[in-house]
This record gives sequence, C-alpha cells and structure tokens, in this order.
Amino acid sequence: MILISLAIGVTWVFGTVLAMLDGRRTYVGLLALGAMGTSLVSGVLLGVRVLQEGTVEFVAGGWPLGLGIALRADVLGVTFAVLSCGVVFVSLLYEVILGIRSRTFPALVLFLNTGLVGIFLTGDMFNFYVFFEIAMTAAYVLTAYREHDYQVRAAFIFAIVNLLGSVIFVIAVAALYHVTGTLDMALAAERVTEAGINPTIVIAVAIFVAFGLKLGLFPFHFWLPAVYVGSHASVAAILSGALANIGSYGLLRFGGYILPEQLAFGAPVLLVLGSASIVYGAHQAVARRSPVEVMAYSAIGQAGYILIAIAIAGPIGFAAGVLYAVVNSLNKTLVFLATGLRGWMVGAAFAIAAFSIAGVPPAVGFLGKLALFRAALSLDSLAGTVTLVALIFLGGALSFVYSFQIYQSVYLKPSPEEGKPSPLAARLLVVVLAALLVGLGLYPEPLLYVSERAGALVAGGP
Amino acid sequence: MTFIISLAVSIVFGAGAYLVLQRNLIRVVIGVILISNAANLFIVAAGIMRGRPPIYPLPEGQVVSDPLVQAMALTAIVIGSSVAALLLALSYRLYTSHSTIDIEDISRAEAEDAEALDRGEPIRRRRRGGGA
Repeated sequence: MILISLAIGVTWVFGTVLAMLDGRRTYVGLLALGAMGTSLVSGVLLGVRVLQEGTVEFVAGGWPLGLGIALRADVLGVTFAVLSCGVVFVSLLYEVILGIRSRTFPALVLFLNTGLVGIFLTGDMFNFYVFFEIAMTAAYVLTAYREHDYQVRAAFIFAIVNLLGSVIFVIAVAALYHVTGTLDMALAAERVTEAGINPTIVIAVAIFVAFGLKLGLFPFHFWLPAVYVGSHASVAAILSGALANIGSYGLLRFGGYILPEQLAFGAPVLLVLGSASIVYGAHQAVARRSPVEVMAYSAIGQAGYILIAIAIAGPIGFAAGVLYAVVNSLNKTLVFLATGLRGWMVGAAFAIAAFSIAGVPPAVGFLGKLALFRAALSLDSLAGTVTLVALIFLGGALSFVYSFQIYQSVYLKPSPEEGKPSPLAARLLVVVLAALLVGLGLYPEPLLYVSERAGALVAGGP
Repeated sequence: MTFIISLAVSIVFGAGAYLVLQRNLIRVVIGVILISNAANLFIVAAGIMRGRPPIYPLPEGQVVSDPLVQAMALTAIVIGSSVAALLLALSYRLYTSHSTIDIEDISRAEAEDAEALDRGEPIRRRRRGGGA
C-alpha cells in the first residue's frame, strides 16, 4: 500500500514544490531526478511484490470497498507503470545532462509521471480519466518546451486533438457508469456482460477511438508526425516511449479486460485498421529523409502491430500485445534520444534501435515480432493466419529498408563538420540504453514471463 | 427529460464541433470548451433521476438523486476550465509570435519554415513573446 502511494505521490509532492523553483538550476534537476528515482524504485519493488503475491489493492481514504476509489496494482498495470516511469526517468536524466532550458521543465516531467503511474495503478474508471488529464496537460506544455514557434504550434495541435479524444473517453466512462452502475473496473467487467452487446458496442467504439487517437493508429494518426517532429528530443522520447503507453494500456484494460465480448465482435475491423496502420506507416516512413520524421511515421506502423495483437485476443494475443508495447516503447525512447545527439557511439546506438524496430535478432525487437507470429499462428482461420504472417513479414521488410536508409544517410556518409559532439555522459546514457535492448534480447525470460502473466490476467478477466 | 437532455447535449456538442473547424484560434478554443461542457452535461445525464438533493442529513424514506454523477461533473468542470486556460495561453503565445490568430496564416508560416529547413537554412526567428 505504501509502495503504491509512494510511486504516485512522491513525484506529485516534489512537482508542486519544484514548480516554484527555477528549473534551470542544477540542484532542481537533481532533486527532480531523486523524486523520479524514488518513484521508479517503489514501482519496481511493487512489481516484485505483485509477481510474488498477486494483486495489491487498497481503497483510498479508508472507505469501505465499493464506496471509495480503489487503487489496484496488478501485473498488467505494474508492468506499464515501471516501463513508463523508467522511460521518463531516462529522458529527464538525459535533459539534466544536456542542461535544462526552462523554469518549469522538471516540475512538468514530475507531474507527467504522477499522471502516468496513477493511470496504470488505479482501479477506478473516473480516477483513470483524472490521472489521464494530469498526464496529458503536462504533456501539452512539455511539447512546447524550448518555445520555438513550430514547437508551440505542435503543442496547440496536440492539445486540441487530444482534448477531443479525452472528451470522447469521458463520455464513454459516463455511459459505462450508466450501464453498469459502478466505476470500479473489476465490478464493471462483471456487470457489463448482463447489459448485452447492443448498448455496449457503442461504448466500445468510443473507447477505441479515444485510445486509437492516443496511440496514433491509422485513421487517427494525422496529428502525430507534426508533434513528434516538432518537439525536442527528450520530449519526443517521453511522448512516444511513455505517453503512447496509455493507448496500448487503455486498449488492453478497457478492450480486453472490461469489454472482451465487444472486442471479439469488432475484431475484424481492428485487424483491418491495424494492417492499414502497418502498411501506411511503413510506406510513409520509407519516403521520408530526416530521422525524426521517419521514426514518427514508423510509430504509426508499430501501433498497428499492437492493435493486431490485441484483436487476436486470448492469452497469447494479449501477451504479444503487452510484449510488443514494452519493446516498442524502449525502441522509440532510444531512437528519439539518439537523434538529439551527435558524436562517437551515437550512430551505433541508433543502429541498434533501428534494427530492433525492424526485428533483427539479437535486439529485443525480434522478440516482439516472434510473439506476434505466435499470436497469428493461434488464429483459427487459415486465411487469416497466412494474411497476417505475410503482413508482418512485409512490415518487417519495409522497416528494415527505412531503418537502413536513414542509418546510411545520417551516420555513414562523411558529414561536413557539424560542431562539437554532445557531452560524453549523454552519449554513455544512450549506449547503456542500447546495451539494455540487446541484453533483453539475449536474455528474454523475465520479459516473456511478465508479458505472459499480464496476458493471462487480461484474458482471465470475466 | 432524457430526450431534452440528449437534445441539449447534441446541440452544444454540434456547436462546439462547428467552432473547432473554424480558422480563428479563439473560436477553436471556444469550440473545445463547448465540447467539454457537452461531456459534462452527458455525465450528469448518465445518472439522472428525480429525487431530493443529496445533502446530508438524508431524509428518511425518500428517493435521493445520484450524487456521484454530480461529483464527477464537478471534477470534469475543473479539469475543463484549467485546460481552457492553457489553450488560451497557447493561442496568446502564437499571437505574439505571428501577430495573427488565423490558422491559415500560421500554417503558411509553418510551410515556409519547413521549406527553409529543406534548403538547409536556419529557421527565421520571429519576435519572441512572453517568458523564456
């Protein structure tokens, strides 16, 4: 219980205090790092406990169960919480090394972390929305970090589009409350089966639109390239590595756990949209030249893989979805951090991330593709399996092409002198992250174990 | 009652959607505010019933209306107003750097920046406004 409160609360308290201090000073950055570290460590400890003893749950404010707001840490939530917390920690460390240029940056990052961890550890749908808004509002401001004109424009687009998404989500939450009479996720999952498919399919569609927008899936992707290209390297890493997790988690939690019948009903549509996402993202990425733009479009394609895994459903499909979301978030964090640096070793780190995205073996991306293949093979219809396997191959081949293309154009050709290389510490951080990607690829057992447990949890929901 | 509320929600939402599609940034922001208020109305409608106001002490043996939806709507209103303030601040920041609140002019400036970037020129700095 204290671990849940710590993981959510520490960064919130520190964020409130640091908001009043000048974030450009080193000690403020270090304090923020300390708070992030505490949050991350409590998340990891909580994760160990959840894996050993099962779901940890308590009701905030000492209310009886069913009346108050439940905070619930299960395998799925803790996995995403630790992952996002880690990504935010690394991005903040990166920015502290390079020098923070804005008063509010450390406080905003801490608020963002509060929102993210809260989303993943809450058991209440409306509380989910509140944490969602905390994280998103911090993200809107962070997008404008450095305050170049194009960054403020990106922030405005980001804010307007995602606000529409949150409005649709809160309408869906209110509708679920109307149908089930509860806001507790576990209770709602039990009661929603009684309501039948007719009123709930509309709710499911609204939830899909809200999280598809967040994740940047094909028909809702239009805001994504502008925002990722516009924002600063560490902010882009936070957006694509941590914030996009809300989309995958939301689809797993609401689609797989609360509304499984509706998910099965809509599976063909999700498969088609996921495929469209993969093809569109890869196709656009091949046509671009700047690394950030290529990776922004690649993010659209990668989101398609996650959607396909979720649409396949069942323990294997959900496990593949969790695994792919984790792998994708690590890849994207490394790629965006590496594009912000120059100098020796950065090229190698970028290459590892790019090939991990393409799914080349020693890197962790291979695991994600493998899990997807397994999920596609578990489909009942032969035609579906063949189509999906062919599609995953095609997507992989295209991502290999664009990854190698930008690696070649940016890091292999002798460039005219581009100023001095970035600080060694920042480059070392990127290299450590790259080593982590390869290490997880060589020793995949922990990741596989966690994703299988999380998949079983989602599929085992009533 | 349900019909009247759904009519109100749809009118407010529709008006908001119309405004979001306008060129003027302030209208876009007002549109978003209207849409988020349509959602608030919807939340209240999700638990609507006739009854006494749910104020403690509760009257014995009488129907009390659902207090939870009102609490939710209140929370959503607070979130909506703070986000509206943020959006207005962003529009003001765009106005100080572009001297216009027309989205067409701003995207034209964006296209120019992109072209300059393609030619390898540094992006032209406009007048910077507000804090650093």
